[in-house]
Amino acid sequence: MRISEIWNKLANPKNVPRLFAAILGICLIIGFIVPMELNPDQLYSRPAPQVQVDEGLNLAPYDRGGVILKEPGIIQSQYPSTTPYLGMITSYVSPIANLVSVISPYFGTSIYSSPGGLIDEVLYYTRGFDTILESSILMMAFVIASWLAVNFTMNRKNDSENIKSDVKIAIDKSKKVKDEVDENNRKNHLKQNRRDN
Amino acid sequence: MDISSLGGDFLGIIPLGDIVLYLTPFHLFMCVVMLLFTFLICISKTETQVEASFGKLEDTKVSVGLNEFKQRRFLSIICGIATAGAMITGDLFNFTLFMALIGIVNIGIVSAVKQTSVLNAAYQYGLIAMMCSLPLFGGAAIILASTGTLSLFELSNLATTSAMTVFGALLLLIGILGESGVAPFFATKAEMFRTPGSPFLVIIHLSSLFVVIRAIEILLIIIKVI
Repeated sequence: MRISEIWNKLANPKNVPRLFAAILGICLIIGFIVPMELNPDQLYSRPAPQVQVDEGLNLAPYDRGGVILKEPGIIQSQYPSTTPYLGMITSYVSPIANLVSVISPYFGTSIYSSPGGLIDEVLYYTRGFDTILESSILMMAFVIASWLAVNFTMNRKNDSENIKSDVKIAIDKSKKVKDEVDENNRKNHLKQNRRDN
Repeated sequence: MDISSLGGDFLGIIPLGDIVLYLTPFHLFMCVVMLLFTFLICISKTETQVEASFGKLEDTKVSVGLNEFKQRRFLSIICGIATAGAMITGDLFNFTLFMALIGIVNIGIVSAVKQTSVLNAAYQYGLIAMMCSLPLFGGAAIILASTGTLSLFELSNLATTSAMTVFGALLLLIGILGESGVAPFFATKAEMFRTPGSPFLVIIHLSSLFVVIRAIEILLIIIKVI
């Protein structure tokens, strides 16, 4: 294949995600032969699995330790200079969450099983700016989606021409589908009749 | 390479817990330029495309409606601010989040047009952006697992780079290439440019240019081979 043909193929937007997916796939396969190693000296460390459950903590395995505004929770700072200020509100849970955790021993597990709780855990509590960014990404997604919904699907009163053509297309399509279904039904009936006879 | 040999003299930091924004002449310049462009885009009006029509003497003017204009301006400003933030952030995961924000806002800027070819290109770009979250966040997670930290200061102080860190950096690179639409993935973004509403479209291009420069710097900090 000549290089000009390859360039022409690449200029078609439809082919780009496929190419990207292929390259990503190859890289992930390369990942299988890369030796795995976990640095034991982790900044965002967690207690070993089941440790908090064995201790019988209410919020296990989500318990973050500490007392609000009195004692810092389980926390480690990247930069030692900020250590004295950190972790004072780490252990805060809302009154409802507190109530549920007293009633049910599975509350910590259910926090973990929801994406939000996991993100919270992953981001940890020293990374507040990340939390702001995460939610602004979500907010932008909602802004775009709701703008499109309001302007392209709901608020189309002024677009009477557009709606007319859309309705026409929809009628044509449904007619086609109906014809196809009828045709298939007829064929199947014939087949069935032949089998019966 | 260390931070000062890449960015120049160290001017100061903006601490936000574990996330530190840092300023060197290089980063400060990029951030200020980006904010300046954002301001220019904020006060400018959109272009009107003029298309020649066949069989007639008049031209067709393709302009942007007020409603669409407002939405696009808002998203462009967010895009500019996100890019400016990505220029000065000193945290790897923070950078990938800025990158994801830029990606989703880019789709939003072109999603309001009523041209099927452009919308199709934006859809394909959206597919890539969705796929990119795997290598972007996966790369950052692998680097965290293999080094134990996400701070660029700590990463630049590490003596050696392990194979897994290099693999994480490679994944990160793929994510950034796809999200910013660098060759050979440029076709979707190039097609998105054909819609009216020029200054808002320029920020799509500008943000990817700036982000790629910054990404190269970050990769040079992480990988110690060079």
